Amino acid sequence: MNKKTTDRIVRLSILNILFIILCFITLIPIIYAFLLSISSGSSAFGSGFLFPENPTLKNYKAILVEEPFLIWFKNSVVLSLGTMILAMSTSVTASYAFSRFRFRGRNGMLKLLLLLNAFPQILSMFAIFRLFKNMNLLNNYIGLILIYAGSMCIFSIWNMKGYFDTIPIEIEESARIDGAGSGQIIWRIILPLARPAIIVTAVMVLIFVWNEYLFATTFLMNEENYNLAGGLYQLQANDYSRNWSLFSAAAILVSVPILILFFSIQKYMVSGLVTGGVKG
Amino acid sequence: MRKMVLVLCIVMAVSIFTGCSRSSQSVAAKQKNKEALNTIRIWHDGDKALIQLMENYLNEALIDDGITVKFEQKSGLTDQIKLYGNDEVNGPDMYMYAHDSLGMFVEMGALAPLTDVIDKNVYADMLPMTLKAGNYKNDQYLMPVYFETLLFIYNKDLWEGEVPSATEDLYSYMKSHTDAAAGTYALVNQHSTAYNVAPIINGFGGFILNEQAEPGLNNRKTKEAIEYNKKFAQLEADGDYNTVNALFKDGKAAAIIGGPWLISGVKEAKINYGIKSLCDFKLPNGNTLIPYSGVQGIGVMKHAARSKKDAVEKVLNEIANPQLGIDLAQNSGCAPSNQKSYNTESVANDEMIAAMRRTADIAQPMPNIPQMSVMWGPAESLLAAVNKSGKELDAAADDYQKEAETAIADMQ
Amino acid sequence: MNKKNKILPWQYSISSILLIGLIVVFPIIYTIYISFTNMNLYHWTNYDFIGFGNYIRALTKLDSGFMSALLTTIVWTVINMVIQILAAYIIALGLNAKGLKLARLYKTLLMFPWAMPAYISILLWRVGIYNPQYGLLNKIRTALGLSSMNFLSENIPAFLSCMVLNLWMALPFLIMMMDGALQSVDISYYESARLDGGGWWTQNLYITIPLIRPVLAPSIIMTTFTTFKQFDIIYLLTMQKGSLTGSTIQTVITYAHQNAFVSNNYGLSSAVSIVIFGFIIFFSIFVNRGIREESE
Repeated sequence: MNKKTTDRIVRLSILNILFIILCFITLIPIIYAFLLSISSGSSAFGSGFLFPENPTLKNYKAILVEEPFLIWFKNSVVLSLGTMILAMSTSVTASYAFSRFRFRGRNGMLKLLLLLNAFPQILSMFAIFRLFKNMNLLNNYIGLILIYAGSMCIFSIWNMKGYFDTIPIEIEESARIDGAGSGQIIWRIILPLARPAIIVTAVMVLIFVWNEYLFATTFLMNEENYNLAGGLYQLQANDYSRNWSLFSAAAILVSVPILILFFSIQKYMVSGLVTGGVKG
Repeated sequence: MRKMVLVLCIVMAVSIFTGCSRSSQSVAAKQKNKEALNTIRIWHDGDKALIQLMENYLNEALIDDGITVKFEQKSGLTDQIKLYGNDEVNGPDMYMYAHDSLGMFVEMGALAPLTDVIDKNVYADMLPMTLKAGNYKNDQYLMPVYFETLLFIYNKDLWEGEVPSATEDLYSYMKSHTDAAAGTYALVNQHSTAYNVAPIINGFGGFILNEQAEPGLNNRKTKEAIEYNKKFAQLEADGDYNTVNALFKDGKAAAIIGGPWLISGVKEAKINYGIKSLCDFKLPNGNTLIPYSGVQGIGVMKHAARSKKDAVEKVLNEIANPQLGIDLAQNSGCAPSNQKSYNTESVANDEMIAAMRRTADIAQPMPNIPQMSVMWGPAESLLAAVNKSGKELDAAADDYQKEAETAIADMQ
Repeated sequence: MNKKNKILPWQYSISSILLIGLIVVFPIIYTIYISFTNMNLYHWTNYDFIGFGNYIRALTKLDSGFMSALLTTIVWTVINMVIQILAAYIIALGLNAKGLKLARLYKTLLMFPWAMPAYISILLWRVGIYNPQYGLLNKIRTALGLSSMNFLSENIPAFLSCMVLNLWMALPFLIMMMDGALQSVDISYYESARLDGGGWWTQNLYITIPLIRPVLAPSIIMTTFTTFKQFDIIYLLTMQKGSLTGSTIQTVITYAHQNAFVSNNYGLSSAVSIVIFGFIIFFSIFVNRGIREESE
């Protein structure tokens, strides 16, 4: 027994060390960005990887105070949540249908969706521009949310369908016997059971919107309406005006909210199946 | 869970509402016709401080006429003008940008000639080179504001002795003062960027694109120039903008070939710098280096020339005022296009502005025909292939010449 | 799992289909429409139908340059996917090891690359890691007494550099998917396997992988397409205007970009897009097997 415990401790320590190394390697470019962001010199780009002599937070301050960071942040939140709601509410039911029903055209439709997804999105911009101009959706969050949700819809359907497939049908059937309707079944049973997949998909949608700048800077007329990525892209768009310390500070500031979100949702990501959906 | 959904729905509703109110605002704006007619929106992708100065200047000057000028920054301006150039509701009334994309915008039918709005006399005082830059098919489309050329910027504390006046002497100085292993350089340059090699190409009598829209990448003289540039390139570090810039600012490079946009950073790095015009360097063939010049000018959208003629006219008149050039020179170190601005002593005596003013007489404006937009790629690929990947010059030149010819043919 | 109902599934998916129709299908149809016109710089607003002219020209673009780009793209996709799947699987297994208390923290840190906007990460890598003068890799080389080298100036090192960056950027997603899938695996299977005396390999090959495959297949297929379509990394790292590095790696998408999009000829570039789209569909026949198995 004792030997077994020491064995486990040794194995866990090795695993911990491996993960610490892995995390460190992953974080090297980010550490680089961080060191740049707190350096004050004008030639900051050259000094990287050394702890700067006079660390300073002025770059963070510059972005938070001098630029409409908070407004962009709010816009990002609105756009991401709007997109998430639209994309998820349309695709959850669709992926449920594709997972649970065997109807004519199902296979064809699934494959078609996949192929459609292969069309490079950047090529669509011009067409969507023409369409939205006629529909008066330019310079409008609804237009952008439609674009974002539409771009992520196929991904969401496919991603969740795979997971829905693994949920035993028996659970649903017993609920149906108990008199639950289809809507109730999705809401009460499928959603909790597929929670990890739904959260992962929702997070994917959210990150996509959070980091998107091309459509935002093209379809919105006013800088004040940009999202974070768009605003910061505009701030540092060309090589000649790029201040690397500021650029890095911006990079860190955009990423942190996503990381906080990610850290806090992790406890919900354990599958309903494992935590007792079946057994309980 | 329900609660969260409810909250999300509210957020969504709010976002839709703000979206709607925004579009209803633009409807309201249309109704306030008068106000809209007197607001001129100018798109740009320029330096913030400089643009702020221009905006303040114009608004102060036009306050009695009740005209408001709004500068709006758009990154990727070329693509944005393609989409919005003819869009009266969402697009700009005017735009300010470097002149090399002019031909493209004109061919697209987005721009109106200046003479639709103002008289020729208004821009009579501009430097001829800057006017030529804004002229396409014998119509003047751009009101030049200021111009840029490459300069030889050196660190007075590092450079030993006089800066040579012949490129050959410069080369021997570089040879004896460059230690790539230790990371110190005599001169750095973006040696694989077409704009930065153009001074040599033009000086050798070669060309990237001539006025007949023929690419000249495998022209004999162009190739000689590229070969000549390669010799320097080997002593000029990597040649990426960020690298050469950092080397100079760190005091690792004694000199750099760069534009006026570098100066604010150089000042911040507290470098004791001196400036020499590129036309002060003689090539072995007796010519001087002949850099490209880039002219920042303001053009008028077709719809604005029609519907906001009066306001546009007044704005253009103010832009042509020599005082704007003086303000820009004094605050942002720009070389004004208006010759009268140079009558002010502080402008004429500024070392950098004087150097650019002198270069202006020999500099070639970048071609502004639409074909130029597809030339940067092949020209740069050729330079990178020769300088960075060690490709054989003749073969590479033929390849990229062909690529350029195909790209130009593809435009039609 | 065999519900038969004709209308209900369409009711469930109609909103998605409308959305996709608007944002995905409409642009494709519009692109097809433009590909039959002469819309270019000189006919920006007054374009006409010109029949198949653009397609004839587009087909001339399918020369040896295109073929080598296609080959590069396939090699790129295959190598990236194999490494990604293996690495993500092993890392996710590690994260799910019993008793690893810091797993949540590790997971969050490993997600960092994903939280950064792609263009920012790519530029940071270009200057921070690969730069011949200031990049970390060359600083290490100099410290070891080696001469500095330009990682992006020749094709093979540049390809590998792009690949490392792609792995860095794409792994977080797959780790997250694998992690989620592993958590859905019923632990009781393992217990019975352990009772049967199955080793680590048996456990993975015969229990874990078959169990998580249906969950993962869609995300792997999606990632394959993303990898195939990858444009930003190669473009921003090696061929951005003003920062060309000298290497000439072309994938199908960068090839199309360079050959059709810089010329502002929308008619021609639409035709090229449609032809390339056709090629992608053709390519997807390779992955078709995966799809068929998945949808059985």
